[in-house]
Amino acid sequence: MRSGVSATRTAVRLDRALRERRILVVCGSGGVGKTTTAAALGLRAALRGRRVLVCTIDPSRRLATSLGLNQLSGRPRALDVGRFGPPPGGAMWAMTLDTKRTFDALVERHTADEEARRRILENRFYRQVSSALAGSHEYMAMEKLLDLSADERFDLIVLDTPPTRHALDFLTAPDRMMGVLDTSVLRWLLKPYFVAGRLTLKVATRTGALALRLADRALGLQFLQDLSEFFLAFDGMYEGFKERAARVHELLRDGGSGFVLVASPARTTLDEALYFHRRLRDGGMPFVSFVVNRARPDPSQVALRERGSRAGRRSAPSVDPELLDKLAAVFRDQKRIAAAERRSIARLEARTGEALVVVPEMEADVHDLRGLKEIADALFEGVVPRRRGEAREGRRAVAVASGPGEREP
Amino acid sequence: MMLDELLSKRLVVLSGKGGVGKSVVGAALAVAANSRGRRVLLVEVDAPLEAARFLGARPAGGRETEVRPGLFTVNLDPTVVMDEYVRHIVPVELLWRRILESPVYHRFFAAAPGLKELMVLGKVMVLEESRTGFPRRPRYDLVIVDAPATGHGLAFLKVPLAASEAVPVGPVGHNARRILKLLRDPERTGLVVVAIPEEMAVVEAVQFHRMAVEEVGIHASALVLNACHERRFTEAEEAEVLRLASEGASGRVAAGIGLAGALVAARRHIRRRKLTRFYQTRLKRALPLPMISLPFLFEEELGPDSIRLLAARLEAA
Repeated sequence: MRSGVSATRTAVRLDRALRERRILVVCGSGGVGKTTTAAALGLRAALRGRRVLVCTIDPSRRLATSLGLNQLSGRPRALDVGRFGPPPGGAMWAMTLDTKRTFDALVERHTADEEARRRILENRFYRQVSSALAGSHEYMAMEKLLDLSADERFDLIVLDTPPTRHALDFLTAPDRMMGVLDTSVLRWLLKPYFVAGRLTLKVATRTGALALRLADRALGLQFLQDLSEFFLAFDGMYEGFKERAARVHELLRDGGSGFVLVASPARTTLDEALYFHRRLRDGGMPFVSFVVNRARPDPSQVALRERGSRAGRRSAPSVDPELLDKLAAVFRDQKRIAAAERRSIARLEARTGEALVVVPEMEADVHDLRGLKEIADALFEGVVPRRRGEAREGRRAVAVASGPGEREP
Repeated sequence: MMLDELLSKRLVVLSGKGGVGKSVVGAALAVAANSRGRRVLLVEVDAPLEAARFLGARPAGGRETEVRPGLFTVNLDPTVVMDEYVRHIVPVELLWRRILESPVYHRFFAAAPGLKELMVLGKVMVLEESRTGFPRRPRYDLVIVDAPATGHGLAFLKVPLAASEAVPVGPVGHNARRILKLLRDPERTGLVVVAIPEEMAVVEAVQFHRMAVEEVGIHASALVLNACHERRFTEAEEAEVLRLASEGASGRVAAGIGLAGALVAARRHIRRRKLTRFYQTRLKRALPLPMISLPFLFEEELGPDSIRLLAARLEAA
């Protein structure tokens, strides 16, 4: 399945997406380097003349680290990419999502008057939902995305997401929100009893009374009261919310959007990438490319690449036998891991029919713009040839010639 | 030492950035505790691939399953836990059937932020509290929870606090406060922060520790630094490796292994080892916690042998 040509073609496709799309959503399971990839892709686009905003909805705020900044605010902040000499117009911003502020802004946008606004913002249930609880991030990420997509300052928005399972939440957030706002039954159940702001169990129908009593048992009257106040307060906003949710739904399926799936070469994360790929397809969302991060180098390959550049090397020096044994052991360990990763990657390629863009592990940890530039270069190595030839075909040839004791596919 | 401290708890919560190997650490901890004669339950939440696979066992799913004598695993699905809760509080079958089948219920559950987390933590509390036999004794000596990856892991642990503030009275608030009490009890509960020697994971571990301790009020017991590259050459050998590499030496190391390739591998190893040391030092300074380093394992897939090896390291720490 795997060939240097198709991998390069994938990189070209990814590169084209960076030039042409308006929104790129970067997804994957935890710890695979989504944030770093999102930032590297953003940088690449900026260095090709686009005005790019990289936005993370990751509540653990990793983007700041990968950009070498201590803090990123809830507002776009311009990064200094001048030292890489971007073409005219090329610029880059970064931001993290401030869930609470986004939620408040949404409420302010949709409430008719000061009184309605105050009722919501002061509702106990709202206060917790908007800031603390898991799940709010996804709602607000989609809201913010819609907001940003209309922002004239940016040509491209690269959106980083939380780990896979939650990134799926993100994708379905618009639909779920519409679902909940649509729960006319819930409103039917709660509304009559709370109109006056207080609760009574004396209700018209026996079914209604029973349902309410059960809900009380499960959740408690106070909770129901807060909840119903919350729903009542949102009453005037249903239409606005619904409309925005529908627009996000469309936006994510639009030709101007694209999804990049990031994985590490470990088998488990590749399996998750496969699952996610299927979900995107089923959901009718435009898939652009896989990126497999930090593939561990095959040491004999690296040696082969480096050899040509060295002149006047000595041959067969005398080395202590004990050191030779240790060298052999360290070599075998790394070779084994590299081979295992290659097998996993080949498996994902075979099962999806997509070529993967593979980014080799960097010499040092990446957490600044310079490191991001290196990754961006590595991502598109085949697109703009940097080193002599392309190592990928060569890697295979040597893998076969590596001799006994090495497991190869 | 570290193990003694953890074994004195009833509940150990593992947390860290995604991809740091929390489930491997959880499995190793469970095996270590089990080999000291404890009845252990390893709880995962909505895990796509269960830690049971490291123990050579089949996935447990939502049922507590004994994978070896005294070692149980379970993989909680929040939806199923919620359904169980509804059945528990609604005694009449016809009624709960109607509730569980109603679209309103499903939509509400899918959309209500925090409800899933609260349900799962409630279930963990129930598991911790469950008693068996006569005279009654705890069903499990130790419950180990593999919390979802950090950003959400913290949200996960914050939910009881948020819920107890949002809903001060009624059963939700009551249960949220009970969960919070369990989490905040240093006698019963300990947090284990898991990281790997990489910038992002380290930054996150420090952040997470601060937030968990300050905001949730949970007692942190230990830091596990996973996937460490440990020294394999003496200092003189490292110097020799670098010298040979700079000279572009070639030749053979063993059958089928060229010196050039072996030197590349050795240099990479030295680089990784130094990074490991760097982050170990940094974490020691940043976190007032006992730190245990676990080695990086060069295996394609980790199995019972690897877990035993890691468990032995935890035991020795």
